[in-house]
Amino acid sequence: MRLIRKNSILYIMMLPVILYFIIFAYYPLAKGLQTSFQEYKLMGERPYIGLDNYRQVIHDPTFWDALWNTLYIGGGILLAGFLAPLFIALSLNEVMKSWFKRTAQLVLYVPHLLSWVVIGGIFIFLLSPDSGLVNLLLVRVFGIQPVNFMADEAWARNIMIVSAVWKDMGYNCILFLAGIAGISPTLYEAARMDGATRWQQVRYVTLPQLMNTMKVILLLNTLGIFRIFDQIFVMRNPAIAGKVDVLMMYTFQKGIMEIRIGPAAAASFFVVLFTLVLASVVRKTTRFDEV
Amino acid sequence: MNRNMNAAKALVLAGTVLLSACSNNSNASSPSPAPAENSEGMKLEILAGNVGGKTPEGNTQFAQALSEKTGLEVTLDKPASDYDQKVLTALSSGAKYDLIEVSDLAKLNALIDQGVVTDLTGFVQDSKILSDPSVIPTGEWEQLKGPDGKIYGVFSKFQGATMPIVRKDWLNKLGLQEPKTLDELYTVLKAFKEKDPDGNGQADTYGLSTAGLYDIQGIMSAAGLKYRYVLDNGKRTLPYATDAAIPMYEWFAKLVKEGIMDPNFITNDTAKMRNLFLTDRVGMVTYWDAWVGMFNNLKQQEDAATTFQAAGMAGLQAADGTILMRRGDPDFWIIPANAPHPEAAKKFLEFWNTEDGITLGSLGVEGYDYALDNGKYTLTDTGKEANMDHGVPYWYNTTVKPKFPALPGVEDAMALSREYATLELSLPTWPDAEKIVTNYALKAMAGQMPAGEAVEQMQKELKAANLID
Repeated sequence: MRLIRKNSILYIMMLPVILYFIIFAYYPLAKGLQTSFQEYKLMGERPYIGLDNYRQVIHDPTFWDALWNTLYIGGGILLAGFLAPLFIALSLNEVMKSWFKRTAQLVLYVPHLLSWVVIGGIFIFLLSPDSGLVNLLLVRVFGIQPVNFMADEAWARNIMIVSAVWKDMGYNCILFLAGIAGISPTLYEAARMDGATRWQQVRYVTLPQLMNTMKVILLLNTLGIFRIFDQIFVMRNPAIAGKVDVLMMYTFQKGIMEIRIGPAAAASFFVVLFTLVLASVVRKTTRFDEV
Repeated sequence: MNRNMNAAKALVLAGTVLLSACSNNSNASSPSPAPAENSEGMKLEILAGNVGGKTPEGNTQFAQALSEKTGLEVTLDKPASDYDQKVLTALSSGAKYDLIEVSDLAKLNALIDQGVVTDLTGFVQDSKILSDPSVIPTGEWEQLKGPDGKIYGVFSKFQGATMPIVRKDWLNKLGLQEPKTLDELYTVLKAFKEKDPDGNGQADTYGLSTAGLYDIQGIMSAAGLKYRYVLDNGKRTLPYATDAAIPMYEWFAKLVKEGIMDPNFITNDTAKMRNLFLTDRVGMVTYWDAWVGMFNNLKQQEDAATTFQAAGMAGLQAADGTILMRRGDPDFWIIPANAPHPEAAKKFLEFWNTEDGITLGSLGVEGYDYALDNGKYTLTDTGKEANMDHGVPYWYNTTVKPKFPALPGVEDAMALSREYATLELSLPTWPDAEKIVTNYALKAMAGQMPAGEAVEQMQKELKAANLID
């Protein structure tokens, strides 16, 4: 108690933050949990119906399709979105010309600043079967028939992965570069004195020293897997919906489009549960607490 | 210690107050309507998606004009985007509006089921204005009835139909007639693709473009297929998922294969489709009747000497001579069950269907959107940008005549709509069925899957999910 009194000013300073989280995070979360157990009507009585909403969701095959789509697309983004910026960061670190390094970082970072409406539009245009750059190359350079990428289920999920990785690559790359910049030059110096090649310096100095940054990026990206929404909302169409509709899209359709708030709330709590499980697994396997 | 305890109590109390301020008061969501009140000087809170000004300033002007004309203190909330989400958030959070604009009959049924809407049957029947068939034709009210036969909404405008819209000037240039059958349509579309109708010497035109599956009813009419549900002896059927649809999907696939149809039709939104039409890239689109006039007007404003001429077409004739066209869901007002001023809302609903209301909903605000001088109406620049649409581009009331001549071609198009267009049947299971139907139909049309296989898959999945009988 004495300690609290001693640091009372600090506790008072924390109050706005605590209140913010209570009002804008925990209260809606608790309200959502309550809704998931109700036969929720926008007005009037809202009787409690136990686990009925959860049962409805579990017995809905589209929910499981959406979960599989989420894991496929989210998993792809997680893997490629981790490796691609790491590769770029390691490559940029080898570049001696600082103006080139800075320009490359800027160019890579710009897509991260754009909204999904813009990025989605760019990809739909680039992949258009008649006037898109990709198909123009396929037809004129390789002489093959144009592919309707955005309407073909075989390509749909991979396009979502590639576009998401492209958009956020610059951001993750900067995090990796910041991690690399923090590595003590004495380690490289010692490695060079021991006769290490450039590759050996990367393999035995840079990568081990980057481990903590990698863990943070991996965990942050893992938390984002089940939150994919804007991208799908912008880039989906009915021909590929079955392959790209993710869990947040399922929740949106149930709640907003069909006004079935109870099942939507239940589905969103599955999302919370899956995120918790996945984050715990990643924390355990990466020994995140040792960061 | 005591001081600490007091501080802790104060904190708990403050937190409780804060939380209760955020909480959804159960009384707030009570469905019981407020008692009747004298509406003079009363407040009226409106949540609208289409009705109002085109800019925040225009919206303020609109609300002010509405207040002056109705004697009510009007607040008009018109979200710039995500209207459906805004409505849902407002209703579930207990926010109180006296009127909410809705544009979807399936949503109306959901809202009735959710206990949100007020029964307006008595009000409509007793209202001298609304019960007048020259103001709103009696049969139209069927659209706004719930499953219990009660009326739950009042129209905010006349909603037209979608139809094939063709470049009439291209038809004339190529010496072709307006197509009536599927074969004739193929000939016309092929000519649009191959005979350089825009005369630029390049093979850069398509015969047909659409935005997904939504508006192709006028073409599917050739096989007598109605979109969404059709009840056949009480059984739920989806004509687009029957064997009769196979030749139609094959016909579209042929257009795609031969490069006659815009290959982006699956990813197109309506804006892209319209742009193709306006930029001489395509000879036919499937869209709203009102846009026939707007297409022509836009091109004429761009270049007064333009040869561009869009014309609405009736749907293709089926073998038995029937023509099917798609009537759009109406735009209508509902009074929420928790409306604080339902009497003010009713006063507005009557006003909205009078000449003053229609003029405001179409032309906009006098002195801002238009000027009136000795009985002569002139649109301001702001009014021209609004295109005589402040939520009511067209209306039911036959006693109110338009203040300006109709846009070119629109009257003929609307005459076709009135003659042939019918509403679609949207059962509660339609959103789930729609995903299956559109998915396989688009694949078949794009030639990614044989049409027979696509329909077979549709039927299999629809039956498995108990979406058809």
